[in-house]
Amino acid sequence: MKINIHGLAFKQSMAVFAGISIVFAALFFFSNSHIQGKLSQMLLQKGEEVSRANVALINKLFSSGRTFGEEVAYNIGSQNLSAAELDNYLLRTLSGVRATVPQVVAMVAAFEPGMAPDSTNEEYMRLAYFSGDSTTVINGGNYHEKIWYKSTKDSLRGLWQEPFIGDFIKEPIVIFTTPIFRTDSTGEKKFAGVLCVDISIAFLKDMIANMPVSNDGYAVVLSASNLVIAHPKNELTFKANFASLSRNASHRRLVEFENAVHSMKHGLFLGTAVDGEDAAIYFSAMESIDWTFLIVWPANKYMEEQRSVSHMYAWISFGGYALIFILILVITFRASRPLKALAVAADKLGHGDFTAEIPVVTGHDEISLLAGAFTDMRTSLQKFIETQKDMDRSRRDLEFSRSIQLGILSKNEVEEGCADNRHALAPFLLPALDAGGDYYDFFKLDDDHLLVLIADVAGKGVPATLVMMVSRIVIRTLALHHTSVSEIFNETNDGLMSHNRDQLFVTAWMGIIDLRTGHMEFVSAGHKAPAIRRKDGSVAFVNSVPDVALVVKEDFSYNTQTLDLNTGDTLFMYTDGLTNARNAAGKIFGKDELLRALAESGNRAPAEINSFMKERLDRFTGDAPQLDDIAMLTLRYDGVAENS
Amino acid sequence: MEIVKTRKDVTMMLAIEGRLDSLTSPQLEAEIVGKLDGVAHLIFDLSKLTFISSSGLRVLLLTQKIMDTQGSMTIRNLPQEFREYFDETGFSRVMRIE
Repeated sequence: MKINIHGLAFKQSMAVFAGISIVFAALFFFSNSHIQGKLSQMLLQKGEEVSRANVALINKLFSSGRTFGEEVAYNIGSQNLSAAELDNYLLRTLSGVRATVPQVVAMVAAFEPGMAPDSTNEEYMRLAYFSGDSTTVINGGNYHEKIWYKSTKDSLRGLWQEPFIGDFIKEPIVIFTTPIFRTDSTGEKKFAGVLCVDISIAFLKDMIANMPVSNDGYAVVLSASNLVIAHPKNELTFKANFASLSRNASHRRLVEFENAVHSMKHGLFLGTAVDGEDAAIYFSAMESIDWTFLIVWPANKYMEEQRSVSHMYAWISFGGYALIFILILVITFRASRPLKALAVAADKLGHGDFTAEIPVVTGHDEISLLAGAFTDMRTSLQKFIETQKDMDRSRRDLEFSRSIQLGILSKNEVEEGCADNRHALAPFLLPALDAGGDYYDFFKLDDDHLLVLIADVAGKGVPATLVMMVSRIVIRTLALHHTSVSEIFNETNDGLMSHNRDQLFVTAWMGIIDLRTGHMEFVSAGHKAPAIRRKDGSVAFVNSVPDVALVVKEDFSYNTQTLDLNTGDTLFMYTDGLTNARNAAGKIFGKDELLRALAESGNRAPAEINSFMKERLDRFTGDAPQLDDIAMLTLRYDGVAENS
Repeated sequence: MEIVKTRKDVTMMLAIEGRLDSLTSPQLEAEIVGKLDGVAHLIFDLSKLTFISSSGLRVLLLTQKIMDTQGSMTIRNLPQEFREYFDETGFSRVMRIE
């Protein structure tokens, strides 16, 4: 199956594909973003769910720790305790706090020079800690330059120090430092020292490890400086920070992340690379301490669902494309195949080949309509051409009968060889376009007897012409053996009757004139009476009683009638094509007009009389068409020459 | 040209309306030839005839010949204007005209 890239099928297919591609693409993008949104929503929800309880727990712990620390700092600052009293107080409160905040593992009180219980200017630091279940207090020193002391002294408010792994207490520790204030003699509040509450955050490890997060998400806790405090991968804790985790992330992304955490407090952050992979992160900023609690879903895991949906989508699209491709091909080739066949058929038809195969197309669509119309057109064309042929044939037939009429009949007496000085005779025949029945005849039976005949065969065309030819021959033949007009007609009638199934009757008027006397015997077979113009100019119709037309009644006996022509008399024979001729108004020429015209023709010779009558007829009919043959035969009897 | 054909037993009536010329005669001929089986009386009603030419006369003659062998033919209500034609051609002597 050759694919015509200019063809309808191809163009349509391409157009449909373009459309489908646009639709699919739109669907894809829409559904993708939709799924993206849904996933984010789900992660958000999950993140929130999982974080809330844990963050609350941590918050509560550190709040308690903070409150505890602030209370102890206040107490120490407001009372003037001795060294022993201080130690005692520290041990007591440390033990006591175990019940409420068991994560507190140690406390430190470090003083400014001159602010310590013994008012010494030296360093004074007491560290109380748990050893097993009991508490002990020891000395400490070298603290003035330590961050925890300095930062608290500088900021003069409670601070959470960066967690670390204690070397003294081998656990991850976070220290809450708060300044100790003493009111001096002047009533001014003065910085006296720093109280530390050491809180173990070993519990975080277990908390993280036991946290159930679906989609392979895990929890991470970051300190204020984004140090990883807790992570499922233990080796990372206190070693990595967020930046190092997000190796592949740009600096900008990190900044964006920090901003997000600070401004939104909790939410979903997408796209940073954690552990070297893209991930979705649900972050919660903790209230009590400037830490961040993260739930991390590595991209490839949470995206898995989305990806599987995308894959399924891609497969469905592909399947859809393939299916639609096949359908389009089927439909358009169904259309273009018959169209092509129709084009071929049209070409053949144009070359006159009617055998061209027109495809039969079932259905009710435009293609089947076209094919049906085509078939109808071919049938009509065939019929039309046949009709044309028939018409051509008819025209040819008519031309044939015309040429017979005009060719066979003698045009003048010289041709016929019957001219003499006792008479003058002239024929006239104007066949109508589709007629063929009128004719005249004239010939001598012997030296002194002239036969004249005018006849009108019923019907038109070739059949009439043939009957005309036959009757002419029959009459001529009979005239060789008969001298009686009635006998001739009787025989003619019988002869023609036996061979005339179509009943093409003939009206005829025949006369035999004795040229010595001018006496004429005539017979009328249903024909119009001729007119006579006497020498004196008077005109009248011959008293001719019509018998029945020839070929109508069997064994009919025709009657001989007579008339006498005197010298100078003119006998005017005609067919009804003359008298029945109509003008545009529908009026017929008629007998009266004929007589009038004949009278006016005067002393013209027969040929001129014919022309004259024709002229008058033309004047009368004008533009109206000629419907029937017009035949005339004019005979003037001149008598015996006086001096011959 | 319209032909109204009515048949009652052995009698058939053909009413001709319009022209009976070379164009319309074949139509009448088609109603006659082979269609007159069992008809003993054929009647032509020519009251609505507007024109008749030799072709029309020919078909009537044809019908007459057929009816001559099996019954009779009658022409009724021949308009006066065509009477002369029938007389002149002698047809009024061949056919029964009422």
